[in-house]
Amino acid sequence: MNEKFALEVEGLRYGPGDRNLFDSMNLRLESGRCVLLTGENGAGKTTLLRILAGLQKPREGRFRLEGGDFAAWKKMRRILQKRVLYLHQQPYMFDGTVEYNLRFALSRSTGRGAKEELVERALEWVGMSGFRRKYARSLSGGERQRVALARAWLASPTVMLLDEPTANLDAESRERTLRLLRQLRLQGMTLVLASHDPHHFTDLPDRILRLHQGRIFHAAPPPTQKEGSAAVIPLRQELA
Amino acid sequence: MTLWEATDHAMRLLLGGDESLWRIIGISFKVSGIAILMATPPAVLTAFALAWLRFPGRRLLISLFSTLLSVPAVVVGLTLYLLLSNQGPLGDWRLLFTQSAMVAGQVVLAFPILVAMGHAALQSVDQRAWETARTLGASFFKAFLLVLRESRFGLLAALLAAYGRIIAEVGASMMLGGNILDYTRNIPTAIALETSKGEFAQGIALGVVLLLLASTLNGLLHYVQGKGGVSTP
Repeated sequence: MNEKFALEVEGLRYGPGDRNLFDSMNLRLESGRCVLLTGENGAGKTTLLRILAGLQKPREGRFRLEGGDFAAWKKMRRILQKRVLYLHQQPYMFDGTVEYNLRFALSRSTGRGAKEELVERALEWVGMSGFRRKYARSLSGGERQRVALARAWLASPTVMLLDEPTANLDAESRERTLRLLRQLRLQGMTLVLASHDPHHFTDLPDRILRLHQGRIFHAAPPPTQKEGSAAVIPLRQELA
Repeated sequence: MTLWEATDHAMRLLLGGDESLWRIIGISFKVSGIAILMATPPAVLTAFALAWLRFPGRRLLISLFSTLLSVPAVVVGLTLYLLLSNQGPLGDWRLLFTQSAMVAGQVVLAFPILVAMGHAALQSVDQRAWETARTLGASFFKAFLLVLRESRFGLLAALLAAYGRIIAEVGASMMLGGNILDYTRNIPTAIALETSKGEFAQGIALGVVLLLLASTLNGLLHYVQGKGGVSTP
């Protein structure tokens, strides 16, 4: 295993029935780097993230993660679900308080005092210290997104995959979310952000990839950050 | 004895702490309590498997449990009677006309209710609940407990409905328990017996207990379902 890469996938095949949405796809995620995954609606961004998180079974593929090299899906799925975190486009809040949602991400072995402190730190980080006892499902979309990020941070995964993390957010919530993502990147978290509109993420990704017709291409960064402008990214070079 | 006199007598039996009456009530609650405790864990596991796992024959099982909902108690009683009678395959167990036989009958009656209603409750949980739990590193068991927690109001409604059904059923208890005084005589079998003897007072008193229980369970059911409605995202 090359320590340079947090997650590597080789020969990924996936598709319903006889169709192949992904055919022999290769992907390497460098440790501590942020990748922006773009592509039109229906290109397969969500599916790819769900496979990488162990939530969807590929037809074929070899995964390398944390020193392990796996072709057997059963084994790999367990490790992917433990170490790779997937954040839904609309994060799910468990039926309970914000604190309950955050505590869920902490392992049983974490001491009581440590749990208390970590929850407090996570809430402070996302600027929601006063929300501890609030019912999580009564929060706004932006607040839910921040609770989900705090919860993800507490789970301390190796890789974080975020599906359209700024979709359906107002400008202020979007900026807050982006600020948190920048901080995660500075902390050395390996991030993959999937978005059909890359203009919101200009200063965040180290690499921009485009998913097109079942293949991944390097893409140039978007030229300007223009609100509402069409995201046209030229295909540069197909990934090896 | 007029209806008014019988009701007056019934109230005096109830409030005066008539020993035999309260023993019958005790047997009812004990047998049905044990039955629901025994039926619930396997029923919840079955409901979970039907709602969240994909395996061949799943749809068939779902429709089978829906069908079993409408099987009359007396048919359940007859089937178990044939199994447990001396000539039956389980005759050596010597369970017929015991509280254990009544428990078995009530477990069989409660199981499909718990599975069918539990399945509906578990199926209504958002798929993202399971996925979020797993992707946060939760074990299969922790994610399973989370899904149960997410559907707790629906599961509790299933439990109350099943309990209400078995504590009031007469067919299976009569056939399997034999209506033996101070041993297998429960509320519904006692009502049937006293009424046939023309002794309405005890029947009315026990009927009042069943009505109170039914309205309490119904009230709880509405409360629980209301709670569940509020918590739905």
